[in-house]
Amino acid sequence: MAFQILLNFFLAFLWMFLQVSFSSSTFIVGYLLGLILMYGMRRFFKHEFYMRRVWAVIYLTLLFFKELILANVDVLKVILKPKLDIQPGIFALPTELKSDWEITLLANLITLTPGTLVIDISDDNKVLYVHAIDVPDVQDAIDGIKNSFEKAIMEVSR
Amino acid sequence: MKTNDVILQTASKVVFFIIILFAIHLFFAGHYHPGGGFVGGLMTSGAIVLLLLAYDIKTVSQGFPIDYKILIGVGLLFAAGTAAGALLFNVPLLTHAFGDFNLPLFGKTSLHTAMLFDTGVYLVVIGVTMTIIQTIGESE
Repeated sequence: MAFQILLNFFLAFLWMFLQVSFSSSTFIVGYLLGLILMYGMRRFFKHEFYMRRVWAVIYLTLLFFKELILANVDVLKVILKPKLDIQPGIFALPTELKSDWEITLLANLITLTPGTLVIDISDDNKVLYVHAIDVPDVQDAIDGIKNSFEKAIMEVSR
Repeated sequence: MKTNDVILQTASKVVFFIIILFAIHLFFAGHYHPGGGFVGGLMTSGAIVLLLLAYDIKTVSQGFPIDYKILIGVGLLFAAGTAAGALLFNVPLLTHAFGDFNLPLFGKTSLHTAMLFDTGVYLVVIGVTMTIIQTIGESE
């Protein structure tokens, strides 16, 4: 991944030197040309083409915004309801993510979507303890987080 | 009771760079905009204090093996040197010189010896703040 980005930068610089014009627009054109060439050469690299991972990051961002809006509407419903029939609770969310930044990202995404809040992480970084404002079904909540955020983060770091 | 600080530590590592860059920006903005050596120095110490909160004193002093007391001396030397430098040109103490120069990367830049004085202030503020905090933190 890092190697491919570096190669792409070198190709863009090479293009600038070939064109003998050292402006940012030439650099961008060279970068795009490098992208096209590297897409053609993608089977020769050890790792997959890096634009897929860039797309995964963009997808994660869009997913976060979608979840943010939906969850805010849900919390609004809870607040405006005349009858308070919520079932708050704390559940353990087992996670398959390994590295520190993945777990931080997942915890922050869960916390930033209203209605759920990460309160603690177990010492071996395997279980996140999540407080939710309304959990009629724990397994549903776990599956929801696993299928949306955790999968998207896995896509980025795979 | 040992808690798991993984989120705090990971976030601090990222936020540290943002704060340091902002501190440097404040330091250089000091001549024409709000900012300067004092605020920049405090911001820089603030970034190091954030690391101290996320990790512990031993880890941070391994990461930055700086004796902050020496930093105070270096900063005072900068300030005093800028003040005394005026004496070489037969002008009163603390007279500053400035001018516009064409630097290779920055283009037309106005340089001012007050910048060096500000560097002294910056270093002294970092040194004093960190010395105070470390002394309080280490005393049992």
